[in-house]
Amino acid sequence: MFITALPTIAQMVGANRVLRGVSITHPTGDPSLAAGDEHDLRVGIVRRALDMLTVEVEPGTVWELDG
Amino acid sequence: MDGGARMTVVHYLNQFFAGLGAEEAADQEPVRLDGPQGPGRGLAAAGIAPDVTLACGDDYFGEHEADAMATLLGWLDELHPDVLICGPSFGSGRYGYACGVLAREAGRAGVPVVAAMTPDSPGVLAAEGAAYIVPTGSNVAAMREALPVVASLAQRLAAGEPVGDAESEGYLPRGLRVNVLSERTGAERAIGLLLAKLAGDVRTEVEPRGDRVPPPAPVADLAVTKVALVTEAGCVPQGNPDRLPTRHSNVWLRYPIADVDSLDPDAYESVHAGFDTTSANADPNRLVPLDAARALEHARAFGALHDVFYTTSGVDTPVATAARHGQEIAADLRAAKVGAVILTGT
Repeated sequence: MFITALPTIAQMVGANRVLRGVSITHPTGDPSLAAGDEHDLRVGIVRRALDMLTVEVEPGTVWELDG
Repeated sequence: MDGGARMTVVHYLNQFFAGLGAEEAADQEPVRLDGPQGPGRGLAAAGIAPDVTLACGDDYFGEHEADAMATLLGWLDELHPDVLICGPSFGSGRYGYACGVLAREAGRAGVPVVAAMTPDSPGVLAAEGAAYIVPTGSNVAAMREALPVVASLAQRLAAGEPVGDAESEGYLPRGLRVNVLSERTGAERAIGLLLAKLAGDVRTEVEPRGDRVPPPAPVADLAVTKVALVTEAGCVPQGNPDRLPTRHSNVWLRYPIADVDSLDPDAYESVHAGFDTTSANADPNRLVPLDAARALEHARAFGALHDVFYTTSGVDTPVATAARHGQEIAADLRAAKVGAVILTGT
């Protein structure tokens, strides 16, 4: 599956499982958070990515981080 | 348009070409400027001077597309331009995408649009045939060649004059079916194409669209699945020892992470030329989430993390090259019995 802050481009080129990342410059992080909170956020992102790998999806499915 | 009637020309640029700053200004909200800016002055010299320049940061557009588009389309609605010119955006992914989306929606609102970008830009797909897109080289060195072609098309569109077919005018085919009367029958043209192909000259009258892969079946049991991390964000060991290209990369690389629990900023960096790497270089896990993946591996959320990660710089990459990279990495993953991949991109 693909984590990116530009999910529309991913859909356009045929990606099927897409998770919207936090930002273009830090798809799996957030420098505005304290270190511990940022790590928790990232663990949550990877958990969501793993969830997406285990479900059936229609072509070109985009999930948000909060689902 | 009758001779002497005033034309309104609007030009869309990103923050850099509008002179508002480089990557640090990529979060610039849409702004409306009088007269030509940057390359707009070149358009003026080529005979079509923008009356208004609309500019927006590349990151802002990508991350707030609905808001950016509402603002930009609102301005276009007020200005009622005779033509909209977007770019040239050359090989830029984000800027090209913004140009393509704006072109598509402006086109739907009835505004003629000319854009200019590399044929592999995501903006070409995003435009969905709504714009006359002049193909360019990858970077600003191609500006001088592109502007006169853009200007010529824009002038005629603004004046309501007819524009010829893609090949003779020098724009990318828009994927539109136009009925034309041919001197030769279909059978004659098909034999002509076949004879040309046998002689090594491969041509087509219809361009195939990109291939589509159906979604793979879900992972049956994560607990026994090996997961791999792959990135196009250009993450490499500090100092880029194997010289991964920063753009237009013809290679992908693979680095061992068996004993690595986190991507330390002293040990890794990003060399991707397409975005501001400041926050990623302060913590490369923000691009390749290794620390989180390792924590979840220890918590047995999945079977195992593959002992290497794969990396390339996904910017200004021809589609054919990117497809080859994907196939080669997939072959490596299959050989290593990897069952699932988390790919990260900017």
